[in-house]
Amino acid sequence: MDERADLLQGTLDLLILKTLLLGPLHGWGISKRLRELSSDVLDVGQGSLYPALYRLEDKGWIRSEWGVSPEGRRAKFYTLTAAGKKRFAAERSQWRLFAGAVERVLEAT
Amino acid sequence: MSQWMQRIARRIRALLHGDAVDGDVDAEMRIHLEMETEELMRTEGLSAEEARRRALVSFGGVERYKEAHRDARGVRWVEELTQDFRYAIRGLLRAPAFSISAVLVLALGIGASTAVFSAVDAVLLSRLPYPQDDQLVRIYNQSGPSNRWTLSTVDIQALEEQSRTLSAVGALRGKRVAVSYGSAAERLPTGFVTSGFLDALGVRPVRGRTLEARDDAVGAPPVAVVNHRFATEALGGDASAVGRSIMIDGVAHTVVGVLPAGVNDLAGVHAQIWASLQLEPPTRRGPFGLYVIGRLADGATLDAAQRELVGISNRVFPLWSAGFQDSTAHLVPVSLRGDLLRGAGHTLGLLAAAVALVLLIGVANVAGLMLVRATGRSREIVLRTVLGATRGRLVRLLVTDSVVLAVVGAVAGIALGAAALEVLKAIGPEVPRLDEARLDLRAVAFAAAAALFAAISIGAYPVALLLRRDAAPTLRDGDRAVGAGRRSHAVRGAFVVAEFALALPVLAVAALLLNSFVRLQRVDPGFDPERLVSVHVSLPSGLYPNDSGDTSVRDYWARALPLVRAIPGVASAGLGAALPPYDWGDFNNFDLVDRPVPPNTSQHVSPWVGIGDEYFAALGVPLLEGRLFTPGDTGVAPVVLVSRSWAEHYYPDGSAVGRQMISGGCTECPRTTVVGVVGDVKYDGLNGTGDAVYAPVTEGWPLDLNLFVRTSVPPAQVVSRVRAALASVDPGIPLNEVVNMDERVYESIAQPRHMTALLGGFAAAAVVLAAVGIFGMLSYTVSARRREIGVRMALGATGRTVIGMIVRRGMGHAIAGAVLGLVAALVGTRWLASTLFDVDATDPLTLGAVTLLLLVVALVACWLPARGAAGIDPVEAIRAE
Repeated sequence: MDERADLLQGTLDLLILKTLLLGPLHGWGISKRLRELSSDVLDVGQGSLYPALYRLEDKGWIRSEWGVSPEGRRAKFYTLTAAGKKRFAAERSQWRLFAGAVERVLEAT
Repeated sequence: MSQWMQRIARRIRALLHGDAVDGDVDAEMRIHLEMETEELMRTEGLSAEEARRRALVSFGGVERYKEAHRDARGVRWVEELTQDFRYAIRGLLRAPAFSISAVLVLALGIGASTAVFSAVDAVLLSRLPYPQDDQLVRIYNQSGPSNRWTLSTVDIQALEEQSRTLSAVGALRGKRVAVSYGSAAERLPTGFVTSGFLDALGVRPVRGRTLEARDDAVGAPPVAVVNHRFATEALGGDASAVGRSIMIDGVAHTVVGVLPAGVNDLAGVHAQIWASLQLEPPTRRGPFGLYVIGRLADGATLDAAQRELVGISNRVFPLWSAGFQDSTAHLVPVSLRGDLLRGAGHTLGLLAAAVALVLLIGVANVAGLMLVRATGRSREIVLRTVLGATRGRLVRLLVTDSVVLAVVGAVAGIALGAAALEVLKAIGPEVPRLDEARLDLRAVAFAAAAALFAAISIGAYPVALLLRRDAAPTLRDGDRAVGAGRRSHAVRGAFVVAEFALALPVLAVAALLLNSFVRLQRVDPGFDPERLVSVHVSLPSGLYPNDSGDTSVRDYWARALPLVRAIPGVASAGLGAALPPYDWGDFNNFDLVDRPVPPNTSQHVSPWVGIGDEYFAALGVPLLEGRLFTPGDTGVAPVVLVSRSWAEHYYPDGSAVGRQMISGGCTECPRTTVVGVVGDVKYDGLNGTGDAVYAPVTEGWPLDLNLFVRTSVPPAQVVSRVRAALASVDPGIPLNEVVNMDERVYESIAQPRHMTALLGGFAAAAVVLAAVGIFGMLSYTVSARRREIGVRMALGATGRTVIGMIVRRGMGHAIAGAVLGLVAALVGTRWLASTLFDVDATDPLTLGAVTLLLLVVALVACWLPARGAAGIDPVEAIRAE
């Protein structure tokens, strides 16, 4: 059970970091953007999203602060830190390596 | 690195402000829900209510989310721990009978053992309060393996002159003497010491000077060092004490120094004043009576000193052989610490062993209770497992339970221990330095260790049981399957066996001590202590010179005795140098003319009691043979009376009257003749022999004598008149307390009485705990096997069969435990042998009786739950399942 969670977590982290690379967002905004970017394929359960956000913040890859949304609502905005950017680059190349490898295996005849 | 620090800072903040962070999370979550709701309303045209419902569904459980969030913060374990403790305390409060009895048992066990530990720590484990205390030795004369006695002037002077292995030696003669200063006079414990005594110990005054070698010389101006208390109370402070003149035993002494505050004992001897001891040049090897200590020179070992002292003894012996003929006697050094603690280790060891056993029984008992409780909780545990609690979490839950019990037990135990230590000091064994025992940090550490041991012991098995369970049990069989298994039955049984095995030795020791004490109490002291009082009169040597030809002591008593005898209510009054039943006064060696000891061997010794006329009448001791002393017995032709035991000991085959002896090893003195035999009087304790030789006090007139007064009315009515009569003869003599002899006999066995009471208390606790243990086990068995018993009864088993079945199971364990305990007792009680009076350490009657007693108690404890089982209604029991 733990291993499955790890796999999901790793992917989710990458996705969150990617959405924040485009600019600060609040939690709901992150989930909305993920849905949009994946054309509704990826619907991250909020139950997983927030623990992941706090974990990333705990690791120092993102930071949070309260602010006001364009719609005039008070919300907590998450921003990518410098360490987070490095982490994103590392995770992305790892993912590409992994995804490419899987793809090659599946392409094999 | 800084990232790590940030993380730690974040976690601390999260921990400290858990509620605030939770509030933050609440807000964020609320906003998320609101945004999602609005979005759903906007994009899908749902009603506000429906949109909110959908938003909630997609969000998932709020609490679960918060929990996960806390997990991410990394503080969950602290919160869980707090939660575990809260839960454990709540759970324990819900079962008050269990909790209270467990805490009480642990508190009693930990408290009693902490108190005994403090005593052991103060008495046995600590060092003597002198620099390099391992260099200090006490020196004895020894002949044969066990015959030890004190030193004489010859001995100490030989040591001072010849010893190289001892860097200092000192002699002490302790006495309560009259001390007067200004217009006040009182009787104070005083140590007359040579300068080497303070020197060897390394004790230095805080003011003035110490005793020096020049003070030891005969004819030097007498000086004294006083303790801080005497300087403060009697001489107006340390500063004004030095230089003051005080009268000690009638001789003017100058105070030259004051000891540091708190130094009231030196080498185990209590005194307020330490006066210079000036030893006259010896005229013979004896008399002995000096308490001598020494300090080993740097680098010298006890063995080297021993060899040297044998050499010195052999050189000294021929010089004084005319009066002392035991060539096998020689000086021996022994560790001062060991000498002071002689017997203390034995007594405290006995207490420590008993208290440790009681603690173990208590822990076994609580462990048994815990197991029953854990079994009772198995449904809860199964439920928790099903709901997703991890195994680690469950283990923590069970461990927390035992930790809470042990901690509460330890805290209560420490409080109890403080009280128990005071009790121990008040009625405990008379061992040196017990009064210094404190419930200090070391004792608290001991209590903590005992609590840890208790927590592990009582928590271990329930946890093991939980960990061993492999397949997840189902809720349905949760009630029975867990813990009611054969294995946990066996473990509970083992606890009960252990409790009985541990209880029996404690009970056996208590019973042996009781048996011994009862016999001791029945011993005839040899005199009638009712309506008999004694007062110790010590005439100051400065005013009563007592030299040859001086008659002042005789004159004092010639005036005092008729005054006392004239008091109405006084039946008789007599003088004696010894104070029965536990002060023999003097010892003397002697050789029988008609059956002398072989050459170069030790002569016989016996208490040698100087007595005046009417002594035997006052004490109520019968004359059995021959005659009493007459005024004609003045010492020209020395005569003695002997006790019946003495006569039977040395002349088992005929009369002792008329036999002659050489007394004190003095071959040139006139021979001493036995003129009569009197009844036995105990002078060496009620457990001692009745041997005694009586010499007329008129031969020597010692300065220290006891006046025994037999009254025909209650003694309280004449005591003040006796004191007045004595005071009228010489008002300058401070008088001692008047002692009621019946109280003195009672006090003489105070120590065995107290030990018997203490051990009796431990034994009672042990038996009750063992009984509770077996009762608990069987009560549980009955409730766990309710259905089976119901079936048996439905199939025709009678109440008697059921009772028999339960009792057999319980008694099997009790008997197994008792047999194990009996074996342990047979091995262990031999150690008691030296403490027991007139009882064999393996006395079969006593051991048999305690085994029987324990089993009868067990039978009652088994019968109660068995009777409950017989009352089970079969229909109800079967249907209840």
